[in-house]
Amino acid sequence: MNVLATALGHVDYLVAVALFLIGAWILVTSGNLVKKVIGLNVMETSVFAFIVTTGMIDGGAPPLVVEGMEGPYASPLPHALVLTGIVVAVSITSLALVLILRVKSQFGTIELDEIVPTDEVRGAEDSDAIGGNDD
Amino acid sequence: MNARRRTARILAFALLAALAGPLIHGVLQLPAPGSADAPAHANVSANYVERGAESGGAENLVTGVLLNFRALDTFGEVIVIFTAWLAAAAVAGTGSRSGRRAIPVSPVVDYVIRALGPFIAVFAFFVIVNGHVLPGGGFQGGVVLGAMLILLSLVLGPAPVAGAFSARHWAWLRATGVLVFAATAVIGLVLTGHLFGLPSEPGLRKSLMIVLELGIGVGGGAVLAGLFFAISGTDRA
Repeated sequence: MNVLATALGHVDYLVAVALFLIGAWILVTSGNLVKKVIGLNVMETSVFAFIVTTGMIDGGAPPLVVEGMEGPYASPLPHALVLTGIVVAVSITSLALVLILRVKSQFGTIELDEIVPTDEVRGAEDSDAIGGNDD
Repeated sequence: MNARRRTARILAFALLAALAGPLIHGVLQLPAPGSADAPAHANVSANYVERGAESGGAENLVTGVLLNFRALDTFGEVIVIFTAWLAAAAVAGTGSRSGRRAIPVSPVVDYVIRALGPFIAVFAFFVIVNGHVLPGGGFQGGVVLGAMLILLSLVLGPAPVAGAFSARHWAWLRATGVLVFAATAVIGLVLTGHLFGLPSEPGLRKSLMIVLELGIGVGGGAVLAGLFFAISGTDRA
């Protein structure tokens, strides 16, 4: 019962953990490169949600010191850190997508299972297997 | 292949289950979210909340943290996103370009988005220049600006939007955030003796912050558009 009460009080954090695990599951089990990027994004988002939640205060105001906004203020530090994290996440995502486009134009597929076999025939440089067929 | 995939799934499940245990256990040890006496609200954060508005120079404490207390972090952030564009453009530039056309949209959607464009741009600049008082700031406004450019690219095709500036000018626009930030760092060194220092005179400090926000916003928006162009295989920029 006590554990249940703690779990209910921490439900925000538990949701972040659940999202993190879902993202990790997609990242690990999916063979589709775009789905892997989506999984990575879900993981990143869960971490952002977690960090922002630590800065929250019950009944608190946004950290704007202006007329009509009275304290206690939510902690500004996690927000600033997450802003940095989001920028890094966007950079990773876009670079990954561009690399996936290269993979697609090189191998004609973005499924990992289908990329690996062509790797074996890499020695035959101008073989048809490398060119891809549906592009 | 199917058996291999099933084994991989079972292994992944075991790995994630092993990960879930410590994560859930650790999260339950933390103070409940929203409690005011949590460590996240003590020390540094408490100091920012208490004195951040005066010493940081921005009523929006997040902006104060970003542009003043942790300016070096933000400078790194601006460099990261600029480097991401450089890398994306380099990778995309080496591949075969298809230069594919935009999918035709209905005239209603086309017209509405063209009509909305200027309003989105005005909103983006509103968010950027009010970043020190209201929620918002350079990055947020930059994302709105970038979203507008991407939206227009989706409707008109990327070519007209990318063609608004020459590739050289786009590159300078994307570097705006980095350049303005570096310039401000040097100005701070001259005025206060500290790199990234902002002068304590409120008017001057506020205008420097707005200049910084504008640089980050314009640079960020241009970088986002550039990332989109790189992904969509647009020839220019």
